[in-house]
Amino acid sequence: MSISRRKFLGWVSAAGIGSVVGKSALAAGNKHFDGYQESLGVLHDISLCVGCRSCEAACCKVNELPVPDKPFTDTHVLDEERRTTAKAYTVVNKYGVTGKIGPSFRKIQCNHCAEPACSSACFVKAFKKTKTGAVTYDASVCVGCRYCMIACPFEIPAYEYNESFTPRVMKCTMCHPRILKGQLPGCVEVCPMEALTFGKRADLLNIARERIRKYPRKYIDHIYGETEMGGTSWLYLSNVPFSDIGMREDLGVTPAPELTSGALSVVPLVAGLWPVFLMGIYAISKRKEIIFKEELDEAAHSRTKEDI
Amino acid sequence: MSDKAAIDLKTWFTPFNVVSGTIIIIGIVLSILRFTFGLGAVTNLSDDNPWGLWIGFDLLVGVALAAGGYVTSAAVYLFGMKKFHSAVRPAVLTGFLGYSLVVFALTYDVGRPLRLPYPFIMQQGTTSLLFEVAGCVALYLTVLFLEFLPAPLEWLGFKKVRELAVKLTLALTVLGVVLSTLHQSSLGALFLIAPSKLHPLWYSSYLPVFFFVSSIIAGLSMVIYESALSHHYFADKMDTAHLQESEGVTLGFGKAASLILAGYFTIKVMGIAGGDHWHLLGTPYGLWFLVELIGFVALPSFLYAVGVRNKDVTLIKWTAAWTVLGIVINRLNVSLIAFNWHLPSARRYFPHWMEIATSVFIVTIGIVVFRFIVTRMPIFYEHPEYKD
Amino acid sequence: MKKERYLFRWAGILTISIIALSGTGIYGLSKVLKVSSQPRADVIKIDNMIAFGKLEKAPVEFLHEAHTEALAKKNKDCAACHLTQNKRMFPKFKRIADTDRIEVMDIYHKGCISCHGEMKVAKEKAGPVECEGCHREKIQHLTSRQPIGFDKSLHFRHSEAQENKCELCHHEYDEKAKKLFYVKGKEGTCRYCHKEKTKDNLMSMGLSSHISCIDCHQKNISKSLTTGPVTCSGCHDPAVQQKIKKITPIPRMDRKQPDIVMLKNAPKGIGTDTENTNKMAFVPFDHKAHENYNDTCRVCHHESLKQCNECHALAGMKEGNMVNLEKAMHQVDSTRSCQGCHEAKQNDKNCAGCHVFMGKERVKEDTSCLKCHSAPGVEKKKASNPDDEKTLVKTMLQSRNLVPGTYPENNIPEKVVIKKLSKEYEAVDFPHRKVVNTLVKNIKDNKLAGYFHSQKGSICKGCHHNSPVSTNPPHCGNCHGKPFDAKNPSKPGIIGAYHQQCMGCHKEMGIEKPAGCTECHKKKKN
Repeated sequence: MSISRRKFLGWVSAAGIGSVVGKSALAAGNKHFDGYQESLGVLHDISLCVGCRSCEAACCKVNELPVPDKPFTDTHVLDEERRTTAKAYTVVNKYGVTGKIGPSFRKIQCNHCAEPACSSACFVKAFKKTKTGAVTYDASVCVGCRYCMIACPFEIPAYEYNESFTPRVMKCTMCHPRILKGQLPGCVEVCPMEALTFGKRADLLNIARERIRKYPRKYIDHIYGETEMGGTSWLYLSNVPFSDIGMREDLGVTPAPELTSGALSVVPLVAGLWPVFLMGIYAISKRKEIIFKEELDEAAHSRTKEDI
Repeated sequence: MSDKAAIDLKTWFTPFNVVSGTIIIIGIVLSILRFTFGLGAVTNLSDDNPWGLWIGFDLLVGVALAAGGYVTSAAVYLFGMKKFHSAVRPAVLTGFLGYSLVVFALTYDVGRPLRLPYPFIMQQGTTSLLFEVAGCVALYLTVLFLEFLPAPLEWLGFKKVRELAVKLTLALTVLGVVLSTLHQSSLGALFLIAPSKLHPLWYSSYLPVFFFVSSIIAGLSMVIYESALSHHYFADKMDTAHLQESEGVTLGFGKAASLILAGYFTIKVMGIAGGDHWHLLGTPYGLWFLVELIGFVALPSFLYAVGVRNKDVTLIKWTAAWTVLGIVINRLNVSLIAFNWHLPSARRYFPHWMEIATSVFIVTIGIVVFRFIVTRMPIFYEHPEYKD
Repeated sequence: MKKERYLFRWAGILTISIIALSGTGIYGLSKVLKVSSQPRADVIKIDNMIAFGKLEKAPVEFLHEAHTEALAKKNKDCAACHLTQNKRMFPKFKRIADTDRIEVMDIYHKGCISCHGEMKVAKEKAGPVECEGCHREKIQHLTSRQPIGFDKSLHFRHSEAQENKCELCHHEYDEKAKKLFYVKGKEGTCRYCHKEKTKDNLMSMGLSSHISCIDCHQKNISKSLTTGPVTCSGCHDPAVQQKIKKITPIPRMDRKQPDIVMLKNAPKGIGTDTENTNKMAFVPFDHKAHENYNDTCRVCHHESLKQCNECHALAGMKEGNMVNLEKAMHQVDSTRSCQGCHEAKQNDKNCAGCHVFMGKERVKEDTSCLKCHSAPGVEKKKASNPDDEKTLVKTMLQSRNLVPGTYPENNIPEKVVIKKLSKEYEAVDFPHRKVVNTLVKNIKDNKLAGYFHSQKGSICKGCHHNSPVSTNPPHCGNCHGKPFDAKNPSKPGIIGAYHQQCMGCHKEMGIEKPAGCTECHKKKKN
């Protein structure tokens, strides 16, 4: 089920992956950034997901993650809500929604933000928003401060706490290496319902809009990820309210880097103004001291005069 | 012979040595555990709660309470309050030790401590506030070291080098204030990136301002509190100048703290008004917020004022201790208690006893080193050979 | 020094009380709001004072039946609390009109407190006399009160009991004489005039129904006749409502309405229409049949019992809220339009399996228009007189084929083996004929579905979509290949297509089996 070579080359050249290496700080910077227009992404149609966990199994396999004790075919695992961990880049959760027959399922993984919080927060630039759309992680520079995990609004990155000497932050890579090789992300390739659609983010948005138009009674009229936190490469369509399936609708549309850009912009101000200001105060207090001394001297002098 | 040994034993096994010794032995064992089996072995940290007590207390509280250094040296050297001169050295020493311990504690918390210099030597993540914090803390530690340098140099008798170090005082003080302003506020700004995780009563775009202003309060209170303790334990090490000036320092700093606490209270209220979060005050988190705001900001401001007005040093000293506790609560609120408030209780964080023990261990190291230095170096007194 | 110690003490008290306060606050909030006992139908929220501005105190929860029972024990009847006007009991408490704030407030306070007080003095179990006893911030009783609809069954039972004397309830209003009068043949729904709220002297639906229904029932009781309920729960308790006798089949409500209608544009003189502007074939409509599908006339005749085209002309009219005839008949999101109601029927379990996959298309197929617009051309119609038209409509309706069409059994393959999925799994034995027969059986008795699926093969289109109807349709794999066709991004690949179609349909139709992967295709052994 791999995509044709030619089509893939089309994607690759469109996304300008040839120039992927290099300056891409823009995605985490504090300037206005519309996202890489040609970036790739995945559309998750929640109404189609049946909770078979094939994506989890495929993810485990292609990323060579440890195989869990309970097999992936065991759907009882879905009975409790889970999150991504260092051993699972993606998990499917089951939600009962009132007024709807049968459960709803939602797949969780890194959303690959257009302007990622993790990348903005990382003080060694271990995270990069690549032009493919994937947010990648470079374990070779990571110090392990875990600020990325604090910053991520979707609570995705996990940490290898039990690794003694070389712990890493673990998260979905959107199968960046596979994408570069012309393959689909593992989860997308395996999904039997085609609840996951891979393609250019701009196209995915059009597909999603078309589905909403065509089935107005079925879908909620919102594409989750189109604007959330400034937009994400993973997009979600749902037939049930997003808040009913554990997706936060209060995240706002401000990209994460903008949240801290104000505080960062104060740095040059403080560094520039403070010394001038402080030296001024120093000069004033020094001057006061001198005047005080002079007056003291004068007073002493006049007194000695009077004494005479 | 046996008598001498007995005396030796007696001088060694003082209550202080026994307690601190025990803590340090436990600390060493825990350190070995941490550095051989990883963070998971000794902490309750999880994927939901990546920052625990070691960041909340050791880093945030540590840095705030070590603010006495820049506050005191700025008051004396820049604002010309010469009468507080005797307070500078203890404050700078506390600052230096505090920051050293912060860095020491960080080696426990980060996953790969040997890579701590990576942000400077590998790739600079300039978009990160943590980069700013790291840079400023590293520089400021150097500044504090240089500021502290005259004391050991006097002790060791290196006169010329000491002269050179003293000449740097003004530049170092300015640099210290600049760096402190930046990183004290940036510690608060660290949480600006997570509006969806921090409770709206604590989250505010003013967070950096809150952290900076409260660090001044922490610095002032810490100097007062510490001088109270030092008077109790190290009075024999103090010269007359120190003893005479001490009350003035307490009153002066108490007055400043009272005013700044009042200002801090005002901007905290502005923070609620700015976010229009009044309705949240009725919730359990709101009541806890009010405890912090009224019990640990408004109340000490008032008590400081009363103490200064009546020249009641005892009241001021107790208030200082109360204020320090308030700062601890504030930092823990922002980093742990009000953070991840949206998560169900099963996914919340409470520190493992080994995390707490490690923090106690680190604080103990600080006290032991402080004691070692003040009993040997000219901290509470002016070295007779270097009187200005 | 003394003063300072005093201040210090106060500060200490302040801190402790804050901490204690937060503690109790958390405790209090952690406790779930406790509401006493079962929900009941007689909870009346007395908030009449809101008509005079903001409420000073919380509204009062009044348990009506608790009071009637208590009064009955003392041999008191409704008159203890309710006045009579025009020989009818008035539902408001001890007054006819809400005059002014103080007066109404006094009526309540005097009426309630004096009675409670007397009972207290007599050492009887009495209601509260202090403010907070009645005006309580927290909800004390959950209400189960449910409005009652006067459905066709109830209507028939009433008209039968009253020997078809419509005038007992139905009336018109004479503006000049300020009187109610009755016109035979102009009966309509109460709600056409009586709205949600009382306006001037036009009473609200609630007030007028409580006056009329209860008064009549009460009088019947006094005459020892069998009659309807007079208590709150008698009408408003959901459980009691379930037990109300239903007539089946309900005899037709007679108001000289037509059995069959030719739906057409407005006659000359109404709106800006001229007869020649309509180019669309008229629609024969079975009015009688549709009466049975709905509970009230209001479902279609929303404002009054007029003909559609009196307000909805080809161009919008003010009377019709500028909704033109085309919209009035075709608006998909309206439950009053033909198409809106018919499309909503597609959500039924038996229909949704196929229809859920059929997207909203901007333009419908011509054949689907002709299903309704089947009358002969407009030119021919001109010549016809009303009687001819009637026979025409009748024959057209009768000639409709209402049976779902299918191919002969042997043209429907019994089993289809789906091999496309046999990489990890065995091939699927798909019971094709069984599925077709079930789908046909499900809609056999449904006239609407039958009419729209009468053509052979239209039922097949649920799965064999996007290709002409045929006994030999293309294979699924002819169109569905590999996933993510960049040129046709909304077309799933073959595996996705099968899974979406089979599982989607089963889910919509509430079919639980087969469950799990291996009930359709066995796992390959290797």
